[in-house]
Amino acid sequence: MRHDTTRRRSGPAALLTVIATAAFALILAFAGAAPANAASSPSPSPSSSAAQSIQVWIRKASDRSDVPGVKVTVSQGSFSQTVTSGDDGKALVPVPAAGTYKVDLDASSVPEGAGTVPTGLNPRQVVVSAGNQGVPAYYILVAPGGGATPTPGASGGASSGAGGGGSGADSGASLFDLIAPRIVTGLIFGLLLALASIGVSLIYGTTGLNNFAHGELVTFGALMGYVFSAVLGLPGVVAIIAATVLGGVFGYVQDLGLWRPLRRRGVALVPLMIVSIGLSLALRYLFQFIFGADQLVLPADNRAAFILGPVRLRSTDIISAVICIVLLLLVAFVLLRTRIGKATRAVSDNRSLAAASGIDVERVIRTVWVGAGSLAGLAGVLIGYYQSLRWDTGASILLLIFAAVTLGGFGTAFGALVGSLVIGVITDVSTVFIPNNLKYVAALVVLIAILLVRPQGILGKASRIG
Amino acid sequence: MDFSFLLLALGQIISPQTIAYALAALGLAVQFGFTGLLNFGQAGFMAIGGYAFAITTLHLGFPFWLAVLATLVATTVMALVLGIPTLRLRADYLAIVTIAAAEIVRYVVKTPDLIPLTGGSDGLNGAAVTFDALNPIPPGSYGFGPLRYDENDLWIILVGWIFVILVALLVRQLMKSPWGRVIKGIREDEDAVRSLGKNVFSYKMQSLILGGALGGLATIINIIPTSLQPDNYGTQTTFFLLTIILLGGATTVFGPLVGAIVFWIVLSLADGFLSLAVQYHWLPITTIQQGPVRFIIVGVALMLIVIFRPSGLIGKKREAFFA
Repeated sequence: MRHDTTRRRSGPAALLTVIATAAFALILAFAGAAPANAASSPSPSPSSSAAQSIQVWIRKASDRSDVPGVKVTVSQGSFSQTVTSGDDGKALVPVPAAGTYKVDLDASSVPEGAGTVPTGLNPRQVVVSAGNQGVPAYYILVAPGGGATPTPGASGGASSGAGGGGSGADSGASLFDLIAPRIVTGLIFGLLLALASIGVSLIYGTTGLNNFAHGELVTFGALMGYVFSAVLGLPGVVAIIAATVLGGVFGYVQDLGLWRPLRRRGVALVPLMIVSIGLSLALRYLFQFIFGADQLVLPADNRAAFILGPVRLRSTDIISAVICIVLLLLVAFVLLRTRIGKATRAVSDNRSLAAASGIDVERVIRTVWVGAGSLAGLAGVLIGYYQSLRWDTGASILLLIFAAVTLGGFGTAFGALVGSLVIGVITDVSTVFIPNNLKYVAALVVLIAILLVRPQGILGKASRIG
Repeated sequence: MDFSFLLLALGQIISPQTIAYALAALGLAVQFGFTGLLNFGQAGFMAIGGYAFAITTLHLGFPFWLAVLATLVATTVMALVLGIPTLRLRADYLAIVTIAAAEIVRYVVKTPDLIPLTGGSDGLNGAAVTFDALNPIPPGSYGFGPLRYDENDLWIILVGWIFVILVALLVRQLMKSPWGRVIKGIREDEDAVRSLGKNVFSYKMQSLILGGALGGLATIINIIPTSLQPDNYGTQTTFFLLTIILLGGATTVFGPLVGAIVFWIVLSLADGFLSLAVQYHWLPITTIQQGPVRFIIVGVALMLIVIFRPSGLIGKKREAFFA
């Protein structure tokens, strides 16, 4: 495969603009709504002292309108509590301990004409881990004869997104009310993607490898977060730090044990890419072998902590966004201002020239692998908080990562950031117009469309694409 | 102790699944091994072809040959759509676009809104009627031991293998022809071929169309004895095919055939041994954990082949430096 060595990187200005814009959009939203938050406290819970709670939410499938007055019983052993859904169709049930609870909707209390719960989804078992707040037990009532498909929030995987942030709109909602929350959650998702994408881009820039096993670095971080928080019961901060550090170690070990020996053997780029595919397959199913095929849930408070008009965010969403922005600024600083960052960009630009001018290329690549691993690990654990996680969480977003990197321009770290934000917003906003399960398709279609018009990506240089 | 899995593994030599994978792998070999195109979306071509066949058969009542024609049209259109934007770009762009396109196909056919047409996640069943109607073999049970086939199984196995061998011979002749020399030239040095006045883009496109069509036809063979399941055409299918052609020899015509047979025998044996190991508690794993093991084997095998024997089982070392 031919390779163009004249890679150019966009200036620092572009990067700072992008980060600043993303940060600004979020900060603006937060700052503007802080008083509103204080004024209207979100979903009042009768006894919020309980460490765990289940969020019941009943809606109609036809127009997603909330259904009030439905009786739901949550029980486990001797514990049993019956609640009635409020005007917003919701009811928060505090539960005393972690465990599996039976959530049973009383079909006779459903208002006339509101529809019925699809069979098989009621009663259902809801798993509550220690410290989980607002574990979803969502019911979508299907009108008799209506062809709508039930999508229970609890099993929605990626689709459950930011805790109902997007889907909380009322039936009479304006287009703005539908789109605004999705832009915010999309930006947050984009920031999470960016953490992972920058690693892909840097590895590609310094070694030429399209790492198809990058999704597994992300999953690894998510699973480590799960081990530390849900299994060992440590606080979330510890889990996040552990995932980041261990992700870095994983990246280092991968480079040391696999990629460096292969570089030494002079294996060409396409075989390397296929090796990464094999590694991805092996690791992914190793994760399934160890952790099982089910959804895993990180203990977190899933109640909306922050409400501004149609935008509802959980505290984890806000914390994740802040962590991402800080980390991305840090990466930018490292790349632009430090010795190793400059060396990295030099190796990306022209490897031979960098080596000839005394840069230790192997050391740069090692650093890039450690950095990419820890960023991906962090992205993984944050994505675990953002949605839920599984053995294939990383693999399922790998194509979005590639889309983001391609969109921004291969090998340009800052392009990866722009691409990620674009992909994140497109993915979430598209659900207004197309079915939820096609939201990744929107991003991939945009990827193909962009390649038609501007194959070098948004920030890439035309000379590179050969 | 039940060792019947040994015979069942042997049955993989002629199973329709092996035939289908051999054919799809041959298509991928044309694109990847001979032309150097990184098509990572062969599963998408397979899915498109399969759905074209099943939908035209079940919803439009097409006769068999017309449904096969629909498959060829569908895969050709897909090749054009994917090839036009990407074949002029660097190789890894095609890889990413094709893998993305394959996932788009899978997500779209699984959409609940399309259930009347595609059957959603459950896929489509019963597309075999027109093919089985052509069956001249008298009803009965054929084979020996645990390997029993009814007349329809035998019919698809016979037709499938004859077709695959014919296609393999055709591809071999193609690769010996001037067309094939240009194709291999593109793999080795695209610019050199261009300097000879050849339209590289057009040759690449023809290769993409040919390989994609073989993928679509493969799905027909795959779904006739069973049914069309969208999740059988995810990215892992493409990676299985990649493993198969690298195992057999990516730059050979009969490598993909040998690769497919070896691949399925090994997987079948591994499944059999694991079942025994779980049953008799030789290994500390559960039945559920047995599922992922075959994928771990494939992944590790893929890495080892590429690192230690890139020319595959019957490949020539000289031609091993693919793409």
